[in-house]
Order: sequence, then C-alpha cells, then structure tokens
Amino acid sequence: MGFADHYPALIVVVLFAAAFLSPLIYRWAEKAAAPVVITALMLALFMSSSLMITVQQSGPVFYHMGGWPPPWGIEFKVDPMRAFILLIMIGVSLWIFIYAVRDLEHELKKEVIGWYYTLYALLVGSMAGIALTNDLFNLFVLMEICAISACAIISIKEDRECLEASFKYLILSAMGTGCFLLGVAMLYMATGYLNYGLLQLELAETLTLYPRNIFAAAALFIAAFGTKAALFPLHVWLPDAHASAPSPSSAMLSGLVIKIYAFALFLIFYQVFPRELLDLIPLNEIILWLASLGVMFGSVYAMLQTDLKKMLAYSSIGQIGYIFMGIGFDHNLALVGGFYHIMVHAVTKALLFMTAGTIIYATGVRQIKDLAGIGRALPLTMLAFTIGSASMIGIPGTGGLISKWYLALSALEIGRPFFVLIILASSLLNAIYYMPIVISAFMHQEDFQFETKPVPRFMLTTMVVGMVFIVLSGFFSRPVVSMLEQAANYFF
Amino acid sequence: MEILSSIARNYYYMVAIILFVIGTFIMLTHANMIKKVIAMNIMDASVFLLFVAIGYAYGGEAPIIREGSDVVYVNPLPGALILTGIVVAVSVTAYALSLIVKIYRYYGTCDYDEICEIRSQE
Amino acid sequence: MEDQIVRITSRLVTPFIQVYGIYVILHGHLSPGGGFSGGAIFGASLVLVALSFNLEAGVKQISHQTASILESGGALGYLLTGMAAIIIGGNYLANRSAGFPLGQAGELFSGGAILIITVFVGIKVASTIVTLFYNIIEGEE
Repeated sequence: MGFADHYPALIVVVLFAAAFLSPLIYRWAEKAAAPVVITALMLALFMSSSLMITVQQSGPVFYHMGGWPPPWGIEFKVDPMRAFILLIMIGVSLWIFIYAVRDLEHELKKEVIGWYYTLYALLVGSMAGIALTNDLFNLFVLMEICAISACAIISIKEDRECLEASFKYLILSAMGTGCFLLGVAMLYMATGYLNYGLLQLELAETLTLYPRNIFAAAALFIAAFGTKAALFPLHVWLPDAHASAPSPSSAMLSGLVIKIYAFALFLIFYQVFPRELLDLIPLNEIILWLASLGVMFGSVYAMLQTDLKKMLAYSSIGQIGYIFMGIGFDHNLALVGGFYHIMVHAVTKALLFMTAGTIIYATGVRQIKDLAGIGRALPLTMLAFTIGSASMIGIPGTGGLISKWYLALSALEIGRPFFVLIILASSLLNAIYYMPIVISAFMHQEDFQFETKPVPRFMLTTMVVGMVFIVLSGFFSRPVVSMLEQAANYFF
Repeated sequence: MEILSSIARNYYYMVAIILFVIGTFIMLTHANMIKKVIAMNIMDASVFLLFVAIGYAYGGEAPIIREGSDVVYVNPLPGALILTGIVVAVSVTAYALSLIVKIYRYYGTCDYDEICEIRSQE
Repeated sequence: MEDQIVRITSRLVTPFIQVYGIYVILHGHLSPGGGFSGGAIFGASLVLVALSFNLEAGVKQISHQTASILESGGALGYLLTGMAAIIIGGNYLANRSAGFPLGQAGELFSGGAILIITVFVGIKVASTIVTLFYNIIEGEE
C-alpha cells in the first residue's frame, strides 16, 4: 500500500502531533510554535484535498485502524460528503489561524499562547476525526475532545464573563454527552454493533423486534446533538460563550464547531437509522419545525442586542437553523442547500467575527451605537463587514443566496410553500439588524469618536481573502453545487 | 405480575436509568456549581453501569482466558469502552473543577443563581 | 504540612506505591489495570511527596520542565508507535499485521505494540496528574 492510502488516519495524527509538540516548542523557541501549527494545517489540507480527488474518481474509501476489519476494529470512511466537510473544516481553520497569530497577542496573557495553539490543533484534529469516523464510540471520544477544547479556548482569556460562559457551555455539553452515550448504549443493547455500516444493516430488522430502543436512541441523539449544535430550545449557552471568547475562538466556534455536530447528526440519521423509522416517528418533521423556530427567534433576539459580538452570536443561532432545515426536509436539493450553507456560513460568520475582532483591536469599541462613522476610519474592515452582512441576508452576488435558493426550491418541490415564507421572512429580519450598522458606519455625518490603532497586514489580508471567497461562491457556485447534488443522490 | 417479574430480572437497567434521571435533574436544577459537577459524574457513572450490565452473560466469569473447553466468558468489549469513558469523565470533571476554582476567585460565591444576579447588574 | 508522623510514613511508603504503579502499568495486557490506572497511582505518589513535605521537595522530585516534557513525550510516543506500524507495513496502529513481535500469551513481553503503548500512556497520565496539581497549588497566589 502506498503512503497515500494512509491519509485518512494521518490527517488526525498530524494535527494531534502538532498539538502536543507546540508546548515544548513554545517553551524553548517562541517564534517557532505558530509556524509548526501552520505547517501541520497545510499538510492536513493537502492530504484532504488529495482524498477529495481520490473519492471523486473511485468512490468511497474505507480505512481500517490497526488492520482489524469491523466489527473488531475502528473504521474511517471517506465519501464525497465527508471529504467536502473535511476540506471546509481544515481550510477555514487554517485561514482563521493566520488571523489569530496577530490577534492573540493583545487578548491573552503571554505565557498561555503556546497552550492556545495546542487547544486549537486539538480542536481541528478532533473535528476532522468526527467527519471521518465510522464508529459510534470513536465518535464519542472525539466529541469529548472537541467539547473540552472548545470550552478551553473560551476560558483561556480568564476574565469574568468568559469563565462563567465557559462553565455553562461545559455543563450543557456534558449533559449532551451523557444523553449521547445512553443512546449508544440503547443501540448496542439491541444490535451488538457500533459500526455505522453494520448498524444500518441490522437496524432494519431490529426495528420490528425492539422498537422502543431505537425510538429512545433517536430521541436521545436529537437531544445530544441539538444541545451541542444549538438547535432552537437548547441554544441557551451559545450567546454568552461566543460573545465573551477571544475573537479567533468566536470565529472558530461559530463557524465550525456547531456545524460539525449538525453534520454528525446528519450522518447518524441518514447512515445509521433505517428509512422505515421515518414512517413510525416523523423525526424530520420535529427537526424541521424546531429549525424554523430557531431561524425566526435567532433573528428576533439579535435585533434586541446592543453588543456587537452578542448580536453576531444570536445570528449564528438563526443560521444554524437553515442547516437543520436542510437536514429536515428529507429531499436531495435541501441537502445541497444545507451543505452549501455550511460552507458559506463558516466563511461568512468567521469573517464577521474577524471584523468585530479587528474593530475591538483597533478601537476598543464593542457597543453597536458607538460604531457610527467607523467606515471612514477603517474602510477595508467595514467593507468586509458589508460583504459579510450581504451574504447573511442573501443578496444576489454572494454565496448566501445560493443556499437559500436551494432550500426554497426544495420546499416548493415537496409541496410545502410555508417554509419559503419562513426563509423570506427571516432574510428580512436579518436585514433589519445588519443593515443599520453598515449604513451608520459609512453614511454618518460626524467622524468616528474613538482613536484608531493601525491594523496589522496579516489581519487585513485574511479579511480580503474572505471577501473574495464570498463573492466567488456567489458567482461560480456551479462546480460545488453539482458535486453536492451528486453526493446527495447517494442517500436517496 | 408481568411488570414485576421483568423489573426483578432487569433491575440493573432500572437502577441505571433512575440514576441517569436523578443526575440530569440535579445538574439542571440545583444552583450550587459543585453539585452540578457531582451530578454530571453520577449521570456518567449510570451510563457506564448500563454498559457493563449489557455485557453480562448468565453464569459467565471474568474474561481472562483459563484452561477449560466450554467456559462462558462475560463480554469484554463494554469493559474496554468504559475504561475510555471513565478517563473522559475524569478529564471533564478535572476541567470543570478548575473552572469553579477560578470562578470562585472572581465572584466570591459557588452559587450559580447569585452569579447570574451579579452578572445581570453589571 | 509539618507533621512528623505523616513525613516518616510517606517517606517509607512512597517507594512501594511507585513499584505498585509500575507493576500495574507493565501488566496492563495480563490483568486489570493498564496505562490509566497505573499512571494515576504513580502520579498520586508524587503528589503525596509534595503534600506531606512542602512544595519545594515535590518540585525537586519532578520539576515543571520534566513534567512538561514527559507529558508531551508520552503522547508523541503513542502517535509515533502508530507511525512505526505504517512504516513497517500495516495500517496505522497495527499490531500483528505489522509484524510487532508477539510472544506467548500470558508472558510479560507479549502483545507487541500493546506494551509499548501502555508504557507511554502511563508516563503521560502520571506527569499530567503532577502538572495539574502544580497548576492548582501555585495558582492560589
């Protein structure tokens, strides 16, 4: 077997190795710690792109850890959907990390920056593992690594709000994990397997023998992943956690961490549970209605906020509702819309949080009413904010339109035009709270009140890259959409 | 009578589920932060109990190979999964307790409702 | 702590605790125990020294730098053992299919890669317990 066959395992290994090397390197040569992590992220990006090309040409790839086939061993699977999510995770993490290298120096104490790199690499490695794994218990372990790293990159800032927010996130996340483990116990009790493929073969007949185990497992999985991915009534930890974290952490959490749990829910509901379950309990209806409520209420709460980062955090609750709507429609065009929205929203929300971080870096301003006239002092930053807001609202020319287009199209195809109304109404609500900031930033009469520090070139470059990506994804969306359509047809 | 006999046969599972519900209830409703962490441990321990009880085979013995041809062994896989699970639970407990130490230094109280009041007045 | 009885007792008992911890680590593939519990026992003995004497004696046993190096070294050793399996010829973390020497079942040096991985995990867990203890005690200033 050539070296390229081992890429599924090596992606996770390289990231974990960088995570454990970076405290050692930071102790002796401070300047070399960040390049080590950047090298590891670039290696992982190269490996995941080559996996994407392989999977497109020759179909799904299975990798057995330790040479043991399932059910004795843990299996990693790469198919087009997983390779797509893997590329998004690692690519966006690399992009946020380049921003973080400059921004962290003024947000954290000096001696903990080496530990921040460790937590960052562990977070990216565990998310890559969640996208790749084909085994339920391996999913549990990787989910816990992801949860602890995500809580830790919030609380590493060590001031009053972020400690309490991080504790709230940890407790609710631990409750989600307990429910998840109980669901795994239910499935293991009924079938004796932990592998996705073997479970899918067994569960079709187990559904007639032990239906209550499967129902309990499905309910527990929705509770677990709903808590971790901020589905509507279980979103209460998100605003505090994302608003009080350092800006690269907010970008990472809002952009990637909540999405990977939605993707894990998608994998479990489409690749583990049998289709006959949907005839007995309308699971996709439950997810669809909760997601619609989330979309509306996220925007309503965001309109009432006065702090910039808290408004962006509440906006995330609304946007993750779109992704859950894509999962809940049970139609292949909806999957295209939902996954395209994962890509667009990851880049857009990360860009918006980077803009907020740059504003705080340069001026120290956090309240929205103090942002009047800032467009003349920080033009490039506010241009990035404008393009990000346009993508959130869904203005043609940005990527946000494509995902909402496909969601609305699939709502019409399955004959439920009510959800088109919800998508349109929520876009209007998004405009109500994003547009005033943009307008008052550029067209306010007086000049900006506070003094501005110059913004480092690293941070400006990353924001320019983000803007270019959003505009490109709005105009040249055909390749990605056709690949997603092909990948989504595999599930139906 | 059916219910009673099935409860008597499966009382490990019943105890595990009752502990899970107790743990979740305390974790969500009681205000003291240390009680929340203890309740999280109870909840995780109950799921581990359920896992190990699933693996039991009637009349089986410990899964260490010994001489004999038709010896019934207990399923060793849940035990291996639970070792990993216990380490994960210990790590989360350690992190949560260190967070509580830091929060106590900043706010001066271990009671979550009081912390919410202090936050809402800032 | 200044108590004379505690100091004498811990000075007598610590070597036995450490030998027991190493025994549990090394016999991970033969009897219940393994890397996690053995490492916790070993780490607990180092914390006992720091508690019953004062903190400087504990730091003399295992300094901050040593604990940090051992911590990262244990995890990196685990990852490198898996990489060694790739280089020899199997999948990641392969044991028998990569050709690690398996002895007789029931002997000490049997099981191939399992013993190596258990030792690395034991080292990492022991040093992590010591590091956590140092962080909590010294963070109170």
